[in-house]
Amino acid sequence: MDNLILQLKNQIIEVLNLEDMTADDIATDAPLFGEGLGLDSIDALELIVLLEREYGIKLSNPAEGKQIFSSVASIADFVSKNRKK
Amino acid sequence: MGKRVFVTGAGIISALGTGNDATLKALLEGKSGIGKITCIDTEHTEFPVGEVAMSNSEMSRILNVNYPVNGLRTVLLGIFAAREALVSASLSPELLRSAAFISGTTVGGMDKTERHFKTVFDTNVETEDSLEMKFNDCGYSTELIADSLGKFRMVTTSSTACSSAANAIILGANLIKAGIVDIAVVGGAEALTKFHLNGFNTLMILDKEQCRPFDKNRSGINLGEGAAYLVLESEKSAKSREVGIMAELSGYANTCDAFHQTATSENGEGAYKAMLKAMEMARLTPADIDYINAHGTGTPNNDETELAAMERIWTDKLPLFSSTKSLTGHTTSASGSIESVICLLALQNGFVPGNSGWRTPIKENANPVVENTPLPEIRNIINNSFGFGGNDSSIIFSKYIP
Amino acid sequence: MKTLAHVRITPTDTSVNGATVSSASLAGLYREFAGDYPKFFKMDSLCKLGFMAAELCLKNLSADEKENTAVILFNRNGSLVTDRNYQKTIESDNYFPSPALFVYTLANIVTGEIAIRHKIYGETSFYVLDSRDETLMDEIVSDTLLTSSPRYILTGFVEYENEQNYIADIKLVTK
Repeated sequence: MDNLILQLKNQIIEVLNLEDMTADDIATDAPLFGEGLGLDSIDALELIVLLEREYGIKLSNPAEGKQIFSSVASIADFVSKNRKK
Repeated sequence: MGKRVFVTGAGIISALGTGNDATLKALLEGKSGIGKITCIDTEHTEFPVGEVAMSNSEMSRILNVNYPVNGLRTVLLGIFAAREALVSASLSPELLRSAAFISGTTVGGMDKTERHFKTVFDTNVETEDSLEMKFNDCGYSTELIADSLGKFRMVTTSSTACSSAANAIILGANLIKAGIVDIAVVGGAEALTKFHLNGFNTLMILDKEQCRPFDKNRSGINLGEGAAYLVLESEKSAKSREVGIMAELSGYANTCDAFHQTATSENGEGAYKAMLKAMEMARLTPADIDYINAHGTGTPNNDETELAAMERIWTDKLPLFSSTKSLTGHTTSASGSIESVICLLALQNGFVPGNSGWRTPIKENANPVVENTPLPEIRNIINNSFGFGGNDSSIIFSKYIP
Repeated sequence: MKTLAHVRITPTDTSVNGATVSSASLAGLYREFAGDYPKFFKMDSLCKLGFMAAELCLKNLSADEKENTAVILFNRNGSLVTDRNYQKTIESDNYFPSPALFVYTLANIVTGEIAIRHKIYGETSFYVLDSRDETLMDEIVSDTLLTSSPRYILTGFVEYENEQNYIADIKLVTK
């Protein structure tokens, strides 16, 4: 799980162009949207693409993402249960 | 507020048909042009669209045009609509020499570019196609449309996403008010492409059924294509030519929502300011507005915030409103002018076009007009066009009073 | 028409009112002159270029004055660089189209980014020209000053081709 969390943090930094940030700067349980990293709706869509490309998970409704993307911990939990690759 | 600007001509092509007459007929019958995608080669056939029911070769034959125009759908659509506008305003080639041509587009020649992109960039060999692609920007498509009509004093392309055509109309009106030209042919043209179909799909805002603007269960856009142009004219010129005046362009405004690249602010700040400023220019009060042709894309975000902006202005009771995107599809950069021509038809023929497909209210007292409804006393119409980038435009057409 | 500020950015030289202030890249300019807006790194190159030009050009305007400002930008190639990058993501071999890239295939997003940063609620327009036609650009701008309400207009030419070729030539003008 720790490996997956670290991997996710690095992937998030890369796909969302979080310049000047390292995995250490993202707290595993901190909110990603609004407060916290301040991500927005386009970032959420980019995360949906990330899940499909890297883990073979397809989300068809952006509303599903809300819960899943609340923190890195929740993404890791979802990925570990649903990954296809 | 300065010089008056009149509409003396209009032309349109969309999924509703070719020309003013066919469009009026479809509107009065409440017939939607939304259907299965056929004109582009895509796997995404699950998304219904508002296509113009003619292939490039059919359009080229009817228009009698050759290379390179015959391969460029945006240009073909544009020529159809622009020619009709010039004819309806009785504009001669001599008059065009002192006129402006301003067209809105974002897609431009992308339909052709995307067909050749892979080959050209994979091989990196200079071919006829790759050379052509270099010039195939959205400005080029405007130049081709303009060239097919005649020589203009000035030609430019407005590219502000889905409000492009509305902003072309605004620039044309400003040029007339400033006395730079007396006549401006303004509007927009946009063809369906894989490029933006896929793009809107990545934003997860395409509906797999006919779109339902202002419906509680709406789930996005149907893309559409088409073109429409208006002939705008100064009072002096229209009177000296004794040309028929279809309507007065009595007010308009462009504002910025300044909130997010694609999302709109919760209380629709940009939309609110655009409608207010347009009414201010037209010296109209909210009570004077008989009908709003809403931007109404059918996305959860747009319709909710556009409604919020309307409710801030009309606090007691909303005017009649509808989104005709359920009939034409969202014609993106051309929507501002396509919906302007629909407004002109409504104003001239005394009716309000319906918001087809609507079923479930979002809340009380916020229901659009669902079926085409007679309104003989219709005088003032607001047409809203909002684009990504927070680019919000409102345009007011008023019945001509000498 | 009076020019209040003039900013010119190229890959090798950034000047304000004719005086060179830096020779940094766009990211370098951001670190030198902005630094507090991490969203900068999410933008495409055209937006980064327009954003930095606006940063330098609007430095001396108050929030109220910015409210009364319009943004009218021009170029020749629209958002071509990003169009190409996005087109690559929809080619079928590796079909993962990027929503963030698609958003920037609209040239006018640069005016939106500037408006978001500076809380500009006035007119924002973007025109694609056949060539860099200064007369036409001036005509459109002076016409907007004459007929619309803004007191100030941030305007000019902003075009990005690649790391070696880009230019922002932006002015802040008033009546």
